[in-house]
Amino acid sequence: MPDDKVPPDFHRVDFDRGRPDPTFNSHIGNLYVKRGAKGTRDEFVMGFRVHQHMCNPAGGLHGGMMMTVADLVGAMGGGTLAGLRKFLPTVNMTFDFVAPAKIGDWVEGRAELVRATRSLLFTNIYLTVGEEKILRASSICKIPSGDGMSYGKAKLDRGAEVTAKRSAP
Amino acid sequence: MSIPSGFRELTEASGFAAANGPWFEKVENGRTIRGFMPGPQHANALGIVHGGMLAAFLDSAMGTAVWHTLQRRAVTLRLSLDYLGPGRLGDWLQAEGEVVGHDEHVVQVKGRLYGPRHEVLGGLGAFSLLSRHRTLKARS
Repeated sequence: MPDDKVPPDFHRVDFDRGRPDPTFNSHIGNLYVKRGAKGTRDEFVMGFRVHQHMCNPAGGLHGGMMMTVADLVGAMGGGTLAGLRKFLPTVNMTFDFVAPAKIGDWVEGRAELVRATRSLLFTNIYLTVGEEKILRASSICKIPSGDGMSYGKAKLDRGAEVTAKRSAP
Repeated sequence: MSIPSGFRELTEASGFAAANGPWFEKVENGRTIRGFMPGPQHANALGIVHGGMLAAFLDSAMGTAVWHTLQRRAVTLRLSLDYLGPGRLGDWLQAEGEVVGHDEHVVQVKGRLYGPRHEVLGGLGAFSLLSRHRTLKARS
């Protein structure tokens, strides 16, 4: 894995704690998360360095990679902003591919909480390279009742994020 | 891994598609159908196929539909996806796109991704046609 030249305050998310095989989030990675002060633009930021295995044959960042990260930002980031600590299955996502990104770019994703009802979470998501927006997305996630159907496994996912936060200086 | 008959592996894939493949394709009655067998590397925290993988795969099938229908390369402009049911590991998943309309710049495409028992993902997309003169290697 080539050097990701990770900017300050980002920590790699370990999605696979306790699992024998790497899951999709690790397979496509590395993915990093930065947690800023509550209520700020950087309350939840996901970032990654673009490598060849994330690209299309033309050498640009693959749309599938953008969509995957936007999906994660909508569920993990949106969930964080809403104070939810369970796995939120995605119901709908809409993506606008605004600009390309290339190998070597550092891409960041942020979510804006639009509304959380008892059962649904609405978010807007932007992926950016520097100041430039490359993807605009909107997401609707289901908020499961109770702890959700598979909270036990999903908690591992959240746990990794919390660990990353704790190990922050 | 048992691949349903008529599918050929997309061996020209590189980058993201190759890293998350192998992906397969067959042409049946003029329709292009893509398929893949989800494994652990395609799973999310719940042990079902990751929504991002499903999105990437349906996008590729919809883009291919543009190519086979209009013989024009296109890039995705907008994609709206409804997650209808879980994709299970070990269940062969298929995706196909249908061109429903176009002008000289933009193509409208409907897409569906489904497993052996149920619909998994529904999509509606707008694809931007690339100039006929522009050389671009195949998207996959």
